[in-house]
Amino acid sequence: MTERDGFSANAHRYLDGEPFEELEGGEFAAADRLVADARDYAERIPALDPALDAAVMTAVRSRAGARKRSAVAWLLAPRTVSVRPVWVGVLAAAAALVLWLAPRSPAPAVQGIPASRPVADTVYVRFELAAPAARTVSVAGTFNGWRVGALAMSRDSSGLWSATAALPVGEHRYEFVVDGTRWIPDPTAHAEVDDGFGGRNSVIVVGPKGLVRS
Amino acid sequence: MRTIRALLAGAVVVAAPALLVAQENGVEARLEARGLPASLAHSVAAIAAGASARGIPDQPLADKAIEGWAKRVPADRILGAVRHFADEMGNARDAVRAAGVEAPSGAVIAAAAEAMRGGMKPEQVRSVVQAAAAADIAAPGLSVAAALKAQGLGGEQAVKIVVGAMRNHESMAQLLDLPSIARAMHDEGLSPGDIEHRMLDGGDGGAHDGWRSGDRGSRPSTVPSTGHDHFPGRLTRLR
Repeated sequence: MTERDGFSANAHRYLDGEPFEELEGGEFAAADRLVADARDYAERIPALDPALDAAVMTAVRSRAGARKRSAVAWLLAPRTVSVRPVWVGVLAAAAALVLWLAPRSPAPAVQGIPASRPVADTVYVRFELAAPAARTVSVAGTFNGWRVGALAMSRDSSGLWSATAALPVGEHRYEFVVDGTRWIPDPTAHAEVDDGFGGRNSVIVVGPKGLVRS
Repeated sequence: MRTIRALLAGAVVVAAPALLVAQENGVEARLEARGLPASLAHSVAAIAAGASARGIPDQPLADKAIEGWAKRVPADRILGAVRHFADEMGNARDAVRAAGVEAPSGAVIAAAAEAMRGGMKPEQVRSVVQAAAAADIAAPGLSVAAALKAQGLGGEQAVKIVVGAMRNHESMAQLLDLPSIARAMHDEGLSPGDIEHRMLDGGDGGAHDGWRSGDRGSRPSTVPSTGHDHFPGRLTRLR
């Protein structure tokens, strides 16, 4: 027990600098003695070395980096999480929404039914066009993204242009492009349909057994 | 815990529109990569995004814009065609839904739209979709029916032929062969009416088998037995 432990509540208030009432006998002297001892002790404490202050500040600043590390540790550390069941439903709905809204695969880059190409098979299809006066002829259609010149045709001595392409089974739409600007449907294709721009697209449906030989 | 909930809720709120924007940007980037002017690509992407929000596939719309640009169609007409195609796919989606498919795939919607553009009626689209035992056969079935109709067969007859093939559980290959078989008959001089008759009934008593649902016998001789180096049709001579 220290000397202060035997003090009354008023003596404690006196020592703490608070308003106090009457003190018990001898408490004033004891309290004053304690205060004098404390002052004496404080005077004997050596002054802090300025270098120590700098060292402390250096240590404090290093805590910032430590905080970054602790954030990583916080993410990696296993911890117990309590979840209300309703949140599971909310998150499942959100995941379903995200999947539904996610951009579709760009693979079906052609019009018609290529996205549903039912048979992973290709058929070699030969295109022919007699155009003796043409300088260039190519085939553009859904199977090559309507790129003019992507399937260039070759000319023989009689003016017959031809090209062979491996097409997936399914429906394809195309036209011949003469001299890079003139779009001509193939009248011998399976069918022709309105292209939406005032012209006609040729339609072929490629089955695994190939197309009809004329 | 409260922070985690807030983060998750925020992610959900932010993700939905962000994905829509990403989808629109994807279409726009694709169009610009094909050389469409930025303003046209942006307008088409906006139409595609609006269509996508209504459950209509956006890629066929991008394809239509690319086709128009390749054909050097003026931008305003391209936009008109894309809008019209979006409307057509909306009607096609309704026709497919009427067949009991609540969430049809983009491929089915696009095939139905093309078929309806070719003159098939919504109830005919519904018949083909209802007859498709599997979802992945509905789109080819619609395309085959449309191709048969475009070859001159009546819409009802074309649908009957396709529906018959589906109900007889014909393979995808046999289904896709139908336009070639019809073409072969046409090249032999048969009229569309005769072709319908033969494909539905095997009409000439077997002297010339033709093809009908369930008939796994001989095929018209003009259909090659292998799938290589076939000719799409007669030569076309430009004048």
